[in-house]
Amino acid sequence: MLKIPIDLLIVDDERDFVEMLSLRLTDAGHRVRAAFDGDAGLAAIAEAEPDVVILDIRMPGKDGITVLKLLKASHPIVEVILLTGHGTIGTAVEGLKVGAFDYVQKPADFDELLGKLEGARLRKAEHEERIRRAEARALVRSSGDV
Amino acid sequence: MSDPTHPRVLLVDDEVDFLTSLSQRLELRGVPTLSATNGPDALEILDQKPVDVVVLDVRMPGMDGIEALRHIKERHPRVEVVMLTGHADLDTAFEGMRFGFFDYLTKPVQLGQLIAKIEEAFRRRQGEAVAGGETFTGKLQQHMIVADRLASLGELAASIAHEINNPLAVIAESAGWLRTRASRADVGPDELRGSVALALSKIESAVDRAARISQNFLRFARAPDARVREIDLGELASEVRDLTVRTAAHADVEIAVTRADDADLSLTSDPYQLRQVLLNLVTNAIQAIGAGGRVELAVAGDPEEVRVAVIDNGPGIPPELLERIFEPFFTTKPEGSGTGLGLAVSRGIVEKLGGRIEVDNRPGAGCTFRLVLPRARP
Repeated sequence: MLKIPIDLLIVDDERDFVEMLSLRLTDAGHRVRAAFDGDAGLAAIAEAEPDVVILDIRMPGKDGITVLKLLKASHPIVEVILLTGHGTIGTAVEGLKVGAFDYVQKPADFDELLGKLEGARLRKAEHEERIRRAEARALVRSSGDV
Repeated sequence: MSDPTHPRVLLVDDEVDFLTSLSQRLELRGVPTLSATNGPDALEILDQKPVDVVVLDVRMPGMDGIEALRHIKERHPRVEVVMLTGHADLDTAFEGMRFGFFDYLTKPVQLGQLIAKIEEAFRRRQGEAVAGGETFTGKLQQHMIVADRLASLGELAASIAHEINNPLAVIAESAGWLRTRASRADVGPDELRGSVALALSKIESAVDRAARISQNFLRFARAPDARVREIDLGELASEVRDLTVRTAAHADVEIAVTRADDADLSLTSDPYQLRQVLLNLVTNAIQAIGAGGRVELAVAGDPEEVRVAVIDNGPGIPPELLERIFEPFFTTKPEGSGTGLGLAVSRGIVEKLGGRIEVDNRPGAGCTFRLVLPRARP
């Protein structure tokens, strides 16, 4: 399997779920960290920027949408995949409007999740590439001014 | 009006085989029946013949059970109706509660259960005929209890579905992980055994949790006869917190149970009804305070009484509304989201259990509803 490893952060208050999903994603070759509420998640992102955050919508304290908005404000390039229950699909769609890459309904289909993670990683890589090019152009322009 | 000693029953179901066999079996057990295969026929029979109890299928083509129920109750308000539902129709059946059916049974129906239910419905009808106006309030209150239980049931159903989903997700991940572990050549037998043990322990605890959720739900959804037993008010408060913690989290409300150290919180009362009252108070509090609020269930006791206070730090109740909050049908919630019966019914229940509800209103700073209950039911 020649998949590029993705730096992942799972934010979900369901500890057993997080533990098992982390094991599976690690098995699939990714680097996984976990946080069990929104604040811990934001702290983990501030500490080291992941590629993709797997974010539960319904959590005590800060809910997923609040975390998503804060995250997008501070780290716009980090991609987010929302985890939803049956009752929160409407919220997930709201989440897409404020910048989530996609959502997965719990219990998640693992292959579907892997596919979406790869999609999210690609979009982040594209953004990064675009930023690099823009920076390079800016650099060329400013050195031309001298 | 004649006063029969046996209930006269009308069976309404579009499945003719089911109808015939049920009618035969009931007749064998001494319950005379009439039959109809659709709503309009049933209404016609009711117009012509005396019937005490209608057994009505929820799902029928044309006029469905709920609509038939509505017509029956409009034209013959004193006829009692027992609904038959499939599992998938439970929602619809609950909707029927609003139109005042007596109770429901899920298909497949056990004959003994059905007969018991018919007799229960019949007794209620008889009781009413004898006592006349006096029991009307009782019946109204019964209906209010039912309506309100279902209103909170609807609110709870969503959060329970979500609750069940969480252990399911744990099970799915554990199984999926095991599957990949088992298919990998580089995972040795000892390592695999370790993975199996881990995954199984997660699966088992998820199954336990799902079972607990569904048991809580069933206990809540079923309307058992008043069962008085020794209970611990602290445990009851924790149970109510567990049932509402998701709803609270969703509303960004913190919910906590506090109990005075080593206080004896045991009492002899009806846990089902008390749970209903507490759920109602907590749900009200959550709705009243909004994001960032806090609801505390504070439990305490002295030798004579045990108390549980539902304390919120919301806006409190406008003083001009305070005296009306226990009035039936008084509500400040938007149309369709509250029956206005919660507090009225709750007070009725608590008084029946020998206790009282005290309100400590702090406009601008919150509100406390305190249940004060005797140690032993009078």
